[in-house]
Formats: sequence, structure tokens, C-alpha cells
Amino acid sequence: MGTKMADLDSPQKLSGVPPPPEGVGGGRCSEISIELIRSLTELQELEAVYERLCGEEKVVERELDALLEQQNTIESKMVTLHRMGPNLQLIEGDAKQLAGMITFTCNLAENVSSKVRQLDLAKNRLYQAIQRADDILDLKFCMDGVQTALRNEDYEQAAAHIHRYLCLDKSVIELSRQGKEGSMIDANLKLLQEAEQRLKAIVTEKFAIATKEGDLPQVERFFKIFPLLGLHEEGLSKFSEYLCKQVASKAEENLLLVLGTDMSDRRAAVIFADTLTLLFEGIARIVETHQPIVETYYGPGRLYNLIKYLQVECDRQVEKVVDKFIKQRDYHQQFRHVQNNMMRNSATEKIEPRELDPILTEVTLMNARSELYLRFLRKRISSDFEVGDSMASEEVKQEHQKCLDKLLNNCLLSCTMQELIGLYITMEEYFMRETVNKAVALDTYEKGQLTSSMVDDVFYIVKKCIGRALSSSSIDCLCAMINLATTELESDFRDVLCNKLRMGFPATTLQDIQRGVTSAVNIMHSSLQQGKFDTKGIESTDEAKLSFLSDCTKLFSQGIGGEQAQAKFDSCLSDLAAVSSKFRDLLQEGLTELNSTAIKPQVQPWINTFLSVSHNIEEEEFNDYEANDPWVQQFILNLEQQMAEFKAGLSPVIYDSLTSLMTSLVAVELEKVVLKSTFNRLGGLQFDKELRSLVAYLTTVTTWTIRDKFARLSQMATILNLERVTEILDYWGANSGPLTWRLTPAEVRQVLALRIDFRSEDIKRLRL
Amino acid sequence: MSMEDYDFLFKIVLIGNAGVGKTCLVRRFTQGLFPPGQGATIGVDFMIKTVEINGEKVKLQIWDTAGQERFRSITQSYYRSANALILTYDITCEESFRCLPEWLREIEQYASNKVITVLVGNKIDLAERREVSQQRAEEFSEAQDMYYLETSAKESDNVEKLFLDLACRLISEARQNTLVNNVSSPLPGEGKSISYLTCCNFN
Repeated sequence: MGTKMADLDSPQKLSGVPPPPEGVGGGRCSEISIELIRSLTELQELEAVYERLCGEEKVVERELDALLEQQNTIESKMVTLHRMGPNLQLIEGDAKQLAGMITFTCNLAENVSSKVRQLDLAKNRLYQAIQRADDILDLKFCMDGVQTALRNEDYEQAAAHIHRYLCLDKSVIELSRQGKEGSMIDANLKLLQEAEQRLKAIVTEKFAIATKEGDLPQVERFFKIFPLLGLHEEGLSKFSEYLCKQVASKAEENLLLVLGTDMSDRRAAVIFADTLTLLFEGIARIVETHQPIVETYYGPGRLYNLIKYLQVECDRQVEKVVDKFIKQRDYHQQFRHVQNNMMRNSATEKIEPRELDPILTEVTLMNARSELYLRFLRKRISSDFEVGDSMASEEVKQEHQKCLDKLLNNCLLSCTMQELIGLYITMEEYFMRETVNKAVALDTYEKGQLTSSMVDDVFYIVKKCIGRALSSSSIDCLCAMINLATTELESDFRDVLCNKLRMGFPATTLQDIQRGVTSAVNIMHSSLQQGKFDTKGIESTDEAKLSFLSDCTKLFSQGIGGEQAQAKFDSCLSDLAAVSSKFRDLLQEGLTELNSTAIKPQVQPWINTFLSVSHNIEEEEFNDYEANDPWVQQFILNLEQQMAEFKAGLSPVIYDSLTSLMTSLVAVELEKVVLKSTFNRLGGLQFDKELRSLVAYLTTVTTWTIRDKFARLSQMATILNLERVTEILDYWGANSGPLTWRLTPAEVRQVLALRIDFRSEDIKRLRL
Repeated sequence: MSMEDYDFLFKIVLIGNAGVGKTCLVRRFTQGLFPPGQGATIGVDFMIKTVEINGEKVKLQIWDTAGQERFRSITQSYYRSANALILTYDITCEESFRCLPEWLREIEQYASNKVITVLVGNKIDLAERREVSQQRAEEFSEAQDMYYLETSAKESDNVEKLFLDLACRLISEARQNTLVNNVSSPLPGEGKSISYLTCCNFN
């Protein structure tokens, strides 16, 4: 039994481990069952079993004690639980009560809010009712007012009433009609509509009468009434009709005046440009005067419509003026004549460019005025749209911009002017080309001048043509003329220069020195001009570019072109400026040619006389040379004479280039003859002296250092001046110091070999 | 303008009848836009796009000219300095094709003899309204020794190819010229037969 107890209350069970199912029934914990004990027979075995049972008993007892100790605590807990019983019942009651209260409150709240909603609805309805009552009252008031106003011919008042009526909510009126008082309102409405129609008819009629009579105050009076009747478009179109009539009559008057203008009049040459100006000014004044009314009574954004109507009349008048211009000035005929002349080898008689001068000026002036006028319109319409579209979406703004562009770009005025300018460009090109040809043909050279006349003439002409194109205010026209000027200078005019250069240097051998010099100078005099020509040209283009630039900045500051135009213009102008570099190349070519065909044949014999002067000399001869210079002084004298001729006729820059070419030539040629000569120690010294004199002279005639050009020669002189062959090593390689050798080792040996007193074995043995 | 940030600078001028889509081609290439309802060009327009070809920066100065007759004297003045001309017609407009010989005469008269001319048939997105067959145009361009391409500015077909191929050809031409100049006198048109189509493949 004891084992069973122990088994039941085993700590394992208390600690919550689920008891094995068979735990209660079987004495599983005690390994010793009754049956086992009964089956035991041996004492020893019994003792052992007993021993174990005793041990188990002790354990069980200990556990029992521990459990008994807990009894008190458990009991006290039970007491507390019993005491809590009644409290719980209380809580349950309270909770129920609370739930009841919450439900009640909730219901109440819902009730209240629905009432508020109803109240709100009622309030809105009330407002609507008041509004409708107001509207109905207004309607009645308007009706009465219209009647009285119409009777009193107070059209402004009547229109104001109609305006009020038109502003009423149509649905409200519709609703009112369905109400109890429908019939009365219906009657009112009918009356009002009648009044509206009547007023419209009256206003239109009165406006027409006022227009006919040219009664501006009445015209303006009724013009102001149209928008009140919702007739914005009609008002604007009728008003502009009136304005157009005024424009037309004024323009016709002006045109008649033009036809009667005496040809001797001061403005006769630009009379058509003046007529256009008057027309534009007239329209601009109209816009200026009437813009405030339109803005005030029609709202912003309406100016576009007004100007659209006006532009139609403007186009009509421009067409008339331009037609007359074309007829009177034979514009098309002149153009066709020019076109025929432009065809190369055309047989027709050439038109005198000077005759074109006035008409070209007039056309550019006409275009300039049109551009100014169009710019004025653009500015006005843009700013009016801007005000009107301040709240509008981006699309609306773009749409308006597009309309504006379309109006100004596609109007007949723009197209007509573009046509005139198109023809103008061709004629201006002809003018430029022919005048340049003339300047070339009439080219004269005055003594003492550095350039012949065509240099200044041609650049004056080009500048004039571009300047005139600029004065047209059309950026495309200007760019086209710059392009054509570039073409003219780069091809035709360059050809002229090339031909002159080619003719300037006939490849003749000049044997007689005297004759040679003079003919070289003569050649120079005729050909020199090209040389000078070119620098002058370069200066002129730069100068011209500057002056155009400043003019164009003015143009741009007027806000004509914007960035796009500026970029176009910059590109074309940089092409024009590039022409100067082409001329510079041509100049260099010419100088090289001059140097090789005119200077070289002279200089070469002078240098060759060096060969006839022995440099294998004794002390005595050396001293003799000292007193009677055998070569270098004469050579310098010859050079000096020759260059003096050139210096007189050449501009400083070109003279410098020429002397530079000449010194190079001298250096190269002298080197050749030195390598053909032989030297001894004193001869080397003599050559050194000669070279120094020559370099000293050349330094005085050139503006830059020529040391570099003579570096090889002076190094040769150094070598020819050596005491011994091996002395070269003091200057060579590691010992060269600041000296940079321009001679190769082979050349050094070659120069050393020129010294007859140096043994070739010594030279060969040198390690360079 | 920031200068010298390119290896090559070429001027390309677009010419052809009014309304064949010159402006749209330029806009598509330079800005990637196809603005519908484009108004007629006035005078000339000027756009710049720098592209990179085989690592070299090529600045293309594109002059978009007005097709209308009254601007002819303005547009002609740009021919001479052009490195390349893009002669455009509209494949849905027989008239624009028939005017090509007239345009070629203008080129002959005003452009430099070294200019490269490309014939472009635009608006192939409107194939159902085609009036000029591709074969006819190809035969014509072959006879005139021009490169021919059909494009759609609207669908952006062949637009990049047109300009980039042209840039490639201009580069090789420029190289050829400097080479020839260094060796002997330049023969105009020499080396033009070199197929530039094989030198670069775009797309």
C-alpha cells in the first residue's frame, strides 16, 4: 500500500507532468509487487526486498510531511475565495446598468444628428428659396426697369437690366416656371426676352447709324453696350468695321497724295515707305486709343479679336500701296533685268548698279517699318493675353500663342514683305557684285599709299550692302546678305587677288643685277598691293565685323530676334570673319612666291661670291681682309638696298613677314656655300667675323630675333674656329652646357673636314 | 557659345518643297519632338545637336529652310557653306517629287562641289497614301548619285540613322580630304564611293 501512496503523490505528479494512465491502478513505481514478495522464498532475497521497501517508505513519509505543511496556505486561500463570491454579483449588476446607459446615449446622439442634418437641409432650401425669390424679384425689377429704360432711351440702363437677367441661373428660372406662379413668371420672361431682342435690334441699329454718321461718342456708347447683351464678338466685329472704314479712307487719301507727289520732293525716294509708315501709325494709334475701352468693357484677352479684324483692312491697304510701289518703281521689271544679268554670259545689257541704290534703300525701309509695326502688335496682344490668361491652363496659353503667331506670320503684310525682301536680296547681291567688279576694274594705285583703291572700295561696298540689309530689321535678310558677302569675298574677290599675284611674278631669270633690282621693285609695285591689300582686308573685315556687331546689338536690344536669331547671326558672321584667315593664307602664299621668284635670284649670286673669297689664308691676308673687306660688307649693302625698296612699299606687318622669309633664305643659301668652301684656322676666324657682322645687320632690320635661324651657321663657325679636332669634345655631349646642337654628328664631321689643317683620321677617331 | 568642345563641326542644310516635313525631321532629331500643326517655316531656322560617333564629338549645325518660293533667295545663300544637303520630298505628294530636278539645279548652281547630298522621302507613316514608289525614288537617286533614305518624322523611323550616317560620311570625307590635301592636289568628289554604310552601324 505504501508504495501506492508514494506513487500517487510522487513529486513528478505534482510538478504537473501528466501521470501515466496506469499510475493509479498498478504499483508501477515500486518495482516490488505483492506477487513478487509472495514468490520470494530465499531469506536473503526477502531481506533485500525489505531493505528497499523501507527506503521507499522513508521517501514517501518525507513527501507526505511536505504536503501536510502546505495545508494551511491552501486553506487560507479557500477562505478568501469564499469571501469574494458576493462581490462578483455586485459587479455583474453594475455592468448591466452601464450597457443600458450607453445604448441610450447612442440612440440620443443619432437622433440629434439627424435633426441637425434636417436643419441644414432646411437652411439650404431656405437660401435657395431666398435666392429664387430674389431672382424672381430681380426678374420683375429687370422687366420693369427695361421697360422704363427703353421708354427713356436709357439704353445703358436697359442693357444693364438685360445683363442682370442673362446672368440669372437659367435652371432657377426654369424651375420657377414650373411653380405655382408659373404663368406670371412666364409672362415676365416673355416680356424680358422681347425687351432683349428689341434692345439688341435698337443697339445694332443705333450703332449702324452712329457709324454711318461717324459719330464717335455714339459709336463708343453702343460699342460698350454690346458686351452687356452677350454680344462680344458682334460688338468687336462691328466696331472694327467702323475702325477699318476710317483706316481705309485715310489710307486712300494718303495714296492719292503719293501719286501726286512731285519727284523733286525731299521724301520722293522713300514715299512708299512713308505711306506704309502712315498706315501703320494710324492703326497703331487706333489700337492705342481703343485698347482701354475694349479691356474695360469686353475684358482682357479680346484685343486679339479686334486686331484680327483690323489686320484684314491693313492687309488690304498694304496690298494697294505695294502694288503701286511695284508699278511705279518697276520693281519686278528691275528684278527680272537683274536676274538676267546675273546669269553668267548673258547678252542683255547690264543694269547700272547705282540705279538700284534708291529702290533697295526704300525696300529695306518698308520692311523695317513693317517689322516695327508687327512687333508692336505682338507686344500688345501678348500682354493682353497674359492678363486674360493669368488663371488659364498651359494649353490655353499655348493655343493663344499659336493663334497670335498664325495671325502675324500668315497675314498678307508679312507675306508681301517677305516677297519684296526675297527679290531685294537678289538685287542687293547683284548690286554688291557689280560694284565690286567696278571697283576692281577702276583699281588705281597712288604713290605713297600702301594699298590700291579697290581695297578700301570693296570693303566699303560690302559694308554698305550688309548695313543696308541690317537696316531692313529682318534677321534672315541680314544673314543672307552676310552669307552672300562671304561668298563674294571668298570666291570672286579672292580670285581677283590670286590672278594679280600670278601676274605679279613672271618666272624670268634676272641676270643683270641692276635691271633685276628695278624690275623686282616694279613687280612689287604692281603686286605689292595685294600684299598690303590683304592685311588691310583683314583689318577691314574685323573692323566691319565690329561695326556690324554694335549695330546688331542695338537691333537685338530692341528685342527683335531673341536667342535663335542671335545664334543664326553669330554663325553667319563667324563665317564672314573666317574669310580673313583665308586672305592671310593667300598673303603668305604671295610672299613665299615673291621671295622665291624675286628675291632668291638676286640674293643667290651675292652669296655665291663667298666662294670666290679664299678662307684658306695667312696672317697677312687676314689683316688685309680686315682693311679691305672681301665679301660681307658688300653683301650687307646689297641686301640693305634691296630691302629698302620693299620697305617703302610694304606695310610693316608684311615687310616683317618678307624679311623673315628672306633671312631664312640667306641662312639656307649661306650654309650651302660654306659647305662648298675650305678653311684653315684663320679662315675660320674670318668666317666667324663675317657671320657676326651679317647677323648683327639682320638683327637691326627685323623685329624679332633671328638667332634661331642662324643657329646652325654659328655652330659651324664655332667648329671652323677650333684649335684642334679634339677640342670639339669640350663643346659636345656632356660638355655642351646651355648649347643645343643643331648639327648632327655626321654634319659636325663634315664641317670639321672643311678645315684643311685637320687630319681626317683624327676626325674619324672622334667619338660623338 | 562654348567653342572647341567638339572634334568636328558640320553644316547640314535641309531643302525641299514646302510642307514635306523638313522642320519635323529637324525637331525629331534635335529635340525628340513631333509638333503637330507646325506652321510654315519663315526664312531659316537653326538648331545644333552634338552627337558622339566612335568616341568623337561631332557638332551638327542644322539649318532648316523655308520651302516656300518667296524665301528662295534667303535659303540659297546658305548652300555654299553647307557640308551636306538633305533634299527632302513627301512620298505622299507626287508634286514634291517632281520638283526634285529643279532643286538639283539649284544645288548645282549654288552649293560647293564637295557637298554631300542625301535624298529623303519623308512621311512613310502614311504608306497607304503613297504616291511615289520606293523603286522610282531609288532609281532617281541612283541616277543622280545620291544616297536615298525613307523616313518618318512622326514615327521616328530612320531619322537618327539619316543624321548619324550622314555625320559618319562627313567625317570620313573630312579625313579623306586632309589626306588628299597632304599628298597631292585634291580631286573633288574623290573617295565619295567609299561605302560609309559599312563603317558604322546604328540601331
